[in-house]
Amino acid sequence: MRRNNVRAAAEPLLFIMPCILVLGAFVYYPLVQNLAFSFFRFSAFSPEKVFVGFGNYANLFLDKTVGTALRNNARYAVISVLCQVCFGLVLAAILEDRSFRRVGQLFRTTFFLPVVISISVICLLFGFIYRPMDGLLNGFLELVGLGSLARPWLGSSKTAIFATIAVSQWQSTGYVMMLFIVAIQKIPEELYEAAEIDGASKLRRFFVITLPQVREMFFVTSVITVTGSVMVFNEPYILTQGGGPGTSSITIAVHMYQSGFFKDMMGYASTLAVLIFGISAALAVLQLRSFRTGEE
Amino acid sequence: MSKRIQALLAVLVIATSIAAAQGAKTTIRFFHRWPLEPRKSYFDALVAEFERRNPDIEIEMDSVINDAYKEKIRVLVSSNDIPDVFCSWSDSFAYNLVKSGRIKPLNDLLARDKAFAASFIQSQVKPFTFDGKVYGMPQTIDGKVFAYNKAIFAKAGITKEPKDFDELLATFATLKKKGYPTPIIEGLADPWTISHYLGTMFQRYLSPAVTAKDYNEATGEFTDPGYRVVLERFQKIVDFMGPNATSITHTDARALFAAGKLPVIYIQLAEFGLIRKSNPDIQYGYFNFPAFKDGKGDPGLLTGAPEGFMLSSTSKNPEAAERFFKFIYEKQNAAQFVKAVGAPVAVIGAMTPDNSFPELIGAVELINGVEGSAPWFDNAVNIKIADAFMRGAQAVATKDKTIDQVMAEVQAAAKIVRSEAKK
Repeated sequence: MRRNNVRAAAEPLLFIMPCILVLGAFVYYPLVQNLAFSFFRFSAFSPEKVFVGFGNYANLFLDKTVGTALRNNARYAVISVLCQVCFGLVLAAILEDRSFRRVGQLFRTTFFLPVVISISVICLLFGFIYRPMDGLLNGFLELVGLGSLARPWLGSSKTAIFATIAVSQWQSTGYVMMLFIVAIQKIPEELYEAAEIDGASKLRRFFVITLPQVREMFFVTSVITVTGSVMVFNEPYILTQGGGPGTSSITIAVHMYQSGFFKDMMGYASTLAVLIFGISAALAVLQLRSFRTGEE
Repeated sequence: MSKRIQALLAVLVIATSIAAAQGAKTTIRFFHRWPLEPRKSYFDALVAEFERRNPDIEIEMDSVINDAYKEKIRVLVSSNDIPDVFCSWSDSFAYNLVKSGRIKPLNDLLARDKAFAASFIQSQVKPFTFDGKVYGMPQTIDGKVFAYNKAIFAKAGITKEPKDFDELLATFATLKKKGYPTPIIEGLADPWTISHYLGTMFQRYLSPAVTAKDYNEATGEFTDPGYRVVLERFQKIVDFMGPNATSITHTDARALFAAGKLPVIYIQLAEFGLIRKSNPDIQYGYFNFPAFKDGKGDPGLLTGAPEGFMLSSTSKNPEAAERFFKFIYEKQNAAQFVKAVGAPVAVIGAMTPDNSFPELIGAVELINGVEGSAPWFDNAVNIKIADAFMRGAQAVATKDKTIDQVMAEVQAAAKIVRSEAKK
């Protein structure tokens, strides 16, 4: 009898054990180890580690690049939420509208296509578009009589970060749009029919039916977008050679990578990793609390 | 036993034998930094030829470009996942790898094979030698010079090469006046291009005692006012590079020069082959970085250092790795490298009039004729300091930082480096 009870108690544990082991080995153990590393100063080439206490954390406040990087991440987050989440929702609503049903599929595929292209390829492509002397963008601006707006997009500290952010928007808006399309398709058709009978315009139907019905998805996409913005790495790393000119387009993930693998400050890089973890966890909790509806 | 089972067993035995035969092959991991042409094809062919001659050895080749290579090889060395044979810059870059204790000293190999040891230009082995031990052998030799388009100079009425820095600026000013709004473009989007300028200019302007003290990790402070002067003078060159100075890569700048659209470029001798490939007809001359009238350093030195290959001390197949290592430097392979790539090499006798071209032969004469060589700045100092200078000078070029701010960041980086060196 007792053996059966023990077995009954152990069975669920056995089922979740693989998950616990994998998570433990690949998520929680590295997380704890990274936290421990952040209190040391060490080189990747040497097994010696020097305990520096909170020295690396104090350096975070003295390091001006951290401020620049966080400001750039904040720009990423704000622009990404506006473009990907808000504009993605509008795109989804338009493509799901009855009058767009015939061409919707074509546009859906077109907008989603950048998502399946490798970010490295996209960055190379935009590298050509942004080229100052023979790039497509400056060429187009000159063609339409806006030559005065042509500039070295990636070579100027004023535009490099925004040119980099624009690439992310081009790639990811289609993905968020697709998530909203799925959410919109789940809204009962009767709601729209009832509103139509009551004489509600398309705009009003969007605000009183679509928007409230997709708020769960709005929350999910916001979390994905904002946490993605904190961890953005590829675009500045490839497009502006690691956040240039100077450090004008650097992000916190690029700064972490360069501190660790370029400047060989592994302890400080671990501290930056802790900062990234702290920010993304805090943002996720904040969004979880403010958007929680309990419906799904 | 039925026939079917017998046949099945026979198939299994054959399959196992094939697998065993394949398993008997020794695998060597080879990692380099040239995924682009023309070197990619050269190394592909080199590996294929080696495998043909050594059927018992299989080479697993991998490559990533330049800055990514610097980072990846550091990661591989630090994680003990070091390739058997891999390329490396000399001087401090090599020394950092050597400090890991995972790079094989080559003294035994050189003592065993005296002919191999004697096949190199000996001065080019020194930058791979630390504490009396040789850790790498040079493949390419290099130097940095100003290359100029002869036709454009003639059109602008410039008849002589500048002999000092003021004359260099005057040359740029003349070109600008004669219809070339950007007389020089370097490709400052690549931060390493800045380090090539600054390294040479520091060497020319500062006293050797200052650079010796500051380039030493344990004593470097970078407080000499000369660094500020050099940054100011570098900005004078940048002013001639136009508004796109920091948005063009060095590859693009080289393409502009090869196309005859750019009057002057500061370029490595190893790039001459690439210019020739793009435009075999271009006529260009070149000169060493001119002296500063008020400089305290030796203006006769040429900035540049050899690049070569190293062996892992943790290799599971050291004999096979060594065989491939030596194969890279065989005279006919080095000669083929010169022909395919158009870069000068450190293997004696590999360059002949048949496999090179006048500019390349001139380049080797220049290297052999100068009083000595100065290392690349980003290899001469700790990377934290080099990065502070490179990023800082880039930010000064875009008017985002002042020279004082940059020097403050450099001094802060030097403080960290000193504290690490003293631990």
